[in-house]
Amino acid sequence: MRVNEELFAKITIAFSFVIMAVGGTFGLLQALNRVPFLSLPGALEVSDSTYYRILTCHGVCLAVAIPIYWITGLAAFISPRILKVELDKRLLALSLAMMLVGGVMATIVILAGKANVLYTFYAPMTAHPGFYWGAALLILGSWVFIAAFVKQYLQWRRLNPGVGTPIAIYGLLATFIVWIEATTPLVITVLKDFIPMSMFGKHVDVLETRTWFWFFGHALVYFWLLPVVAMWYYLIPKKLGVPLFSESMAKVAFILFILASTPVGLHHQFTDPGLAAEYKFMHTILTLIVATPSMLTGFNILATMERGGRARGGNGLLGWLAKQPWKDPVYLGLVTSMIIFGIGGITGIINASYQLNMVVHNTAWVPGHFHMTVGNMVVIGYTAITYALLADLFKRKLISKTAAYSHILLWSIGLFIFSLAYYYVGLHGAPRRTSNIEYGGLLPSTWILPMEISAIGAILMFSGGVAAVYAVLGSLLFGKTKGVAIEGMKIGNPHPETTEFNPLLENLKMWVIFAAVLIIVAYIFPFYEIFSRGISPVPPVETGLS
Amino acid sequence: MANDEGVIYEYVWIVIVSAIVAGMAASLAYYGIALDLNPACNATPIDVGTLTENFQPGVKQLGPGIYQVNILAGQFFWNPNKIVLEDPVRIEFRITSKDVVHGFEIVGTNVNVMVIPGYVAEFVWEPPKNAEGKYLIICHEYCGVGHQFMQAELEIKRTNTLLSGDSIGTTDDLGKFSEVKYLEFKGVIVDEG
Repeated sequence: MRVNEELFAKITIAFSFVIMAVGGTFGLLQALNRVPFLSLPGALEVSDSTYYRILTCHGVCLAVAIPIYWITGLAAFISPRILKVELDKRLLALSLAMMLVGGVMATIVILAGKANVLYTFYAPMTAHPGFYWGAALLILGSWVFIAAFVKQYLQWRRLNPGVGTPIAIYGLLATFIVWIEATTPLVITVLKDFIPMSMFGKHVDVLETRTWFWFFGHALVYFWLLPVVAMWYYLIPKKLGVPLFSESMAKVAFILFILASTPVGLHHQFTDPGLAAEYKFMHTILTLIVATPSMLTGFNILATMERGGRARGGNGLLGWLAKQPWKDPVYLGLVTSMIIFGIGGITGIINASYQLNMVVHNTAWVPGHFHMTVGNMVVIGYTAITYALLADLFKRKLISKTAAYSHILLWSIGLFIFSLAYYYVGLHGAPRRTSNIEYGGLLPSTWILPMEISAIGAILMFSGGVAAVYAVLGSLLFGKTKGVAIEGMKIGNPHPETTEFNPLLENLKMWVIFAAVLIIVAYIFPFYEIFSRGISPVPPVETGLS
Repeated sequence: MANDEGVIYEYVWIVIVSAIVAGMAASLAYYGIALDLNPACNATPIDVGTLTENFQPGVKQLGPGIYQVNILAGQFFWNPNKIVLEDPVRIEFRITSKDVVHGFEIVGTNVNVMVIPGYVAEFVWEPPKNAEGKYLIICHEYCGVGHQFMQAELEIKRTNTLLSGDSIGTTDDLGKFSEVKYLEFKGVIVDEG
């Protein structure tokens, strides 16, 4: 079968919404079953072992599989249209095959109950080897896609010397650079530790494998959200018909993401004994630095929105806000995702604030935070961008604007309620990842009401999710063919203004080298501490449940 | 670069952002260095195969108000699962796991430490003066299908009543939770569990 860019994008993007339907349903079941003392109808009630099984699936599908499929699909579709250079078809076919086989394999193993290890799969808990091989294949498949993407970019660069990289492509390049930074340590530890542990019973050092995992785990979140940021920069000015406020500021933000999104992993390990305070503090500072590009982005997009609103006749201090094209679901979704990201990002600063982390580490605060960011900003962003792709990519008309608005409103409000409730119980010490937090009736009474409220939020979210899946998959299956692109959202040429060539900002090779140096400096000390003290390997522990 | 009218705002914003980040970093450094408020960082490797000989769970009083508490975690228990301390001023915890990763949390306090097999986590908690009554100890890291059943109880008794007691789960007064570089253990650990 010949895989061209469009077929690749159609399969990966449609598939990511199928997964979203499955993972989202599991999420609702978890939110309901966690409410203390709530008796559910039999069909909704899950046993503890099922809870951890679907929690693993929820995490792996929504946090790893969807972003990989959706982002590669977006890049495959958008980059040939902007750069006018084709992607390597053989690499595309290979990448698609590897990603689909890997993803399906890992999912089957999880649903069969042979990998109840959650998405962090901390050693020495061990899963069926199919889980690790599936995950490795999925990630290596995304590397093959990145090879095709980089090859295409370099070809464009040769054909267009002295032209500034279009901002959408710049953002996607940053996304993939961060993904390579993130997944390299993961692939190392999966091949070196987890597969031998699972297949041959190798004893592994748990502190070391945790450090490898979080070397990956935080950069992962920038992989999720950078394409959304790139599309804010690309689509919002396009829709408003004005140039981006500052393209160089946008590129500086992406460079900061490339530099600082990876050497921050120890902020997930503040409470790990065996890592020195100095190194944890170094990662704290780097984490604060990685907050700066988001603040630059917020400023840049808001300034663009102001400029667009004024050009459309908005006057006064805030009159430009009323003149935004709010009726366009794509635009509404993009701006909503940005506002939510602001809130989620600020709570992330609290997690990362070293001493404050002791109060919230591994409590419900953490899922509160990342549902606000990945669950809310990323899901709304991906879905809104998919609405923009319906006409160009799938040649379908959006089946229902009402469904699209309902999705954005129900999802963001529901998630807001859910996350605020989780922040609250988290501050009161309620754990995350626990199927039942009653503790034989000894739980603090402060946990009960917010957990009930969180379930209401989850139900609203789920209704929003149903609307999103209907809007996307419904349009694909039943939408009118020959769809018309939503005005101003046609994917194609870069904005006419985006041609300035700044040698410093275009020299991505140099920034990648700087990033590598920074990562080595940030990680050489903790690894030296672990290895110089002498590692302490422990035997694997099976968790396969019947 | 932005249009000329915009450039100045761009630089102003960059200065504001840098100041926010520098301010946050400075305040965290102040608490870490000046007040010695750091997360638990000390660990001693231990061979999980020889835990029964080398690690005795239990509570030992080292001096007036000073306790050493050794806790062994496993699927799905804390040993000891009931700890009673009278007028504690300083509690030296040593915690390890016999199987997978667990998470030690005393609900309503700042005590929050990962328990990693192969390593003994060593840290000190100085409970606030008004800490009194029963505290719930839970496992906050997924450790298997019985994870939700893993709990224990810490009871702090006050013989010289300083303040009225707090019940389980209050966060009104945060305990000071500092790292101690060198822990020395004297004498034999007595198992009271």
